[in-house]
Amino acid sequence: MIEHINIKQIFIKRFNIFLYMKLNKNYLQTLIFILVYLFALYFWSQPYQERKLPYGEYDAMSHFEIADYMAYNDRSFVKLPQYIDVRYGLDNKFKPHTLWYPPTFHSSLAVMQVLGGERIVAVYLMNTIMASFIIITIYFVINSLFGFLPAILSSLLLIFSPRDFMPFLWGQWPERFAYAFIPIILYCFYKYFISYSKQESKPVYIYFTGLFLGINILVHPLVFFHSVIGLAALYILLAIKQKKLVFNWKHLAISAIIFLILFMLFPIQTFNIFPQLGSKNTDTQDTKKPVELSRLLHWSLNPKDYAGSVPEFYFSFSKMHGLWTLPFLLIGILFLLWRREERDIFLLAWLISLYLILHRDLIGKATFLHRSLSATAHIFVPLTAIGAVYLGSILKLPSNLRKYFKYLMAAVFVYFAFSVNMQYAGQFLNKDTYNPNNENGFFVSLNEEEFKAAEWVLENVPYTYNISVLGIPHQDRFVSLTARKIRWLNAVSQHVNRFYYLIEDEKEKESHLKNNYIMLDYTMLGPLNDKETFANMQLLEKTSLANHTLVYNQGNIKVYKLEK
Amino acid sequence: MIFLAIILIVVATFSFILFGITGLKVVIGILFVSIPFYLMLNNFGLGESEKYVFSVLLGITIFPSLVYLLGLVVSFRISILAVFLFLMVLAFVLRKYKLKKSN
Repeated sequence: MIEHINIKQIFIKRFNIFLYMKLNKNYLQTLIFILVYLFALYFWSQPYQERKLPYGEYDAMSHFEIADYMAYNDRSFVKLPQYIDVRYGLDNKFKPHTLWYPPTFHSSLAVMQVLGGERIVAVYLMNTIMASFIIITIYFVINSLFGFLPAILSSLLLIFSPRDFMPFLWGQWPERFAYAFIPIILYCFYKYFISYSKQESKPVYIYFTGLFLGINILVHPLVFFHSVIGLAALYILLAIKQKKLVFNWKHLAISAIIFLILFMLFPIQTFNIFPQLGSKNTDTQDTKKPVELSRLLHWSLNPKDYAGSVPEFYFSFSKMHGLWTLPFLLIGILFLLWRREERDIFLLAWLISLYLILHRDLIGKATFLHRSLSATAHIFVPLTAIGAVYLGSILKLPSNLRKYFKYLMAAVFVYFAFSVNMQYAGQFLNKDTYNPNNENGFFVSLNEEEFKAAEWVLENVPYTYNISVLGIPHQDRFVSLTARKIRWLNAVSQHVNRFYYLIEDEKEKESHLKNNYIMLDYTMLGPLNDKETFANMQLLEKTSLANHTLVYNQGNIKVYKLEK
Repeated sequence: MIFLAIILIVVATFSFILFGITGLKVVIGILFVSIPFYLMLNNFGLGESEKYVFSVLLGITIFPSLVYLLGLVVSFRISILAVFLFLMVLAFVLRKYKLKKSN
């Protein structure tokens, strides 16, 4: 039989086998990544897997409100409805009382709420996918430039990055998603620059740079500026490396036009950037503080400047990344500095851009500086993974040992990621996060009964009516805490809700008992053993509310419609 | 194609187990908004992984942006369908144009 097969056939057969093996390897790697990403979705979605209730800080409420209003009312809007306008009416400085963010992010949540056919899980799941999209883009970029092992290690460690999942839990939702674009924008530009230098120009990549940059500004302006600095750093370093300036009017003009089309898609919102840029810094950092040049030697910021905004440990490297990553991170940086291939320049430029962004306070631009710190893991983690994977090359081990050493280091990396980072992350991100049935969310999240009552209000109370809510403890220490609960009531009921503290002020009392609905929420009083408020509410029901109509009475919550 | 189907089954099963029918619908929803862009990106000489990542990114941003704009004048639900049809036609036209150009 053998003599009937000519050399060409043998070659084709062998080639096919190699191709098949390579494809199989690619499939396996993709499957591994998919499993890692699904684990990320599992890990990040723990707070709503069982309860299916909304949660988060004030920012989360605002993002939920915008998306939910569009999906529930089956229409887009520019002018804010009253229950959103109460808080955000002046946030758009270019045109007050209108949406202050471009609606790209929120429309995406709204589309998924419509397609998902459900109000809470669809929004939260879509948000989880968008907030964790950085794991996908990091994997994609690092896999394209450095191969599978550093890419999969990076995506694994990113799952447990507190500076990523904490803002996601709190509610900086669009910002989290916007960060996923930085590696993609830099990658597209890198591909353009590299191909241009090799005289086989691929202008499509500069068009995609403009496209993703435009989307980036629609999702979150702060991150857009980070991307721009990244592009500048990458261009300069690549130009130095290749001793060549890449500039093509035609390519640049088309890319700029694509960007401008996107920028002008929602001018009322994108023009809001200009008054924001011109306004004085209102952030926690005092602009009158003298510029401290010693800051140049630090990556992080002074936690005291952000007290009350984010917890102190947010500024700690060891808490946010794990101290074990530091040697690998330094090795990774030193290795790239030593090797200086184009792909190494890519990561170094990204690192430099992060440094520049984190020190913009030195030129007087300190607004949301601490938020930029949330981008550290996106570059630190790949550098750490590269440090671990390439350690064998640095140590100049024999090639047969180097392969085993690489996998040994990868195993060490995975061990620490689970034993240190996942353990730490699990303290903040678990099934009890924002749980209204225990101390994590008792005062700040809606419980099942409150959620149902809020949905009843949405479906049964006309928009022109406000809801006064009793039953939220009115001791001073609870006011700021429970303010979040009442805002969630606003969001879910799509009505203006306000506290009613049974105070003696007659004018205040009159305003609550006139042209209104009153909600008596008894759900919190039992666990708090607040007998006094309970007795006062019962008295109010028997006296002031006796002649009014009880329209809702379920799960320890009553709603009265006050007759004129 | 078989591999892609396996991946989709894995993701859909995971979403269904963890989030019920809503989870499954969201996965289908992401595919729904991304498919037109994937078809468009077929015309630009991109790598397969680039097409997947870019089309999802475009699907969950450009698609809803267009839905929002159309939703200012018609029902949000109708806008979703209209934008999908518009983008599918655009992908088809782009394909035809590219084929004509290459010939």
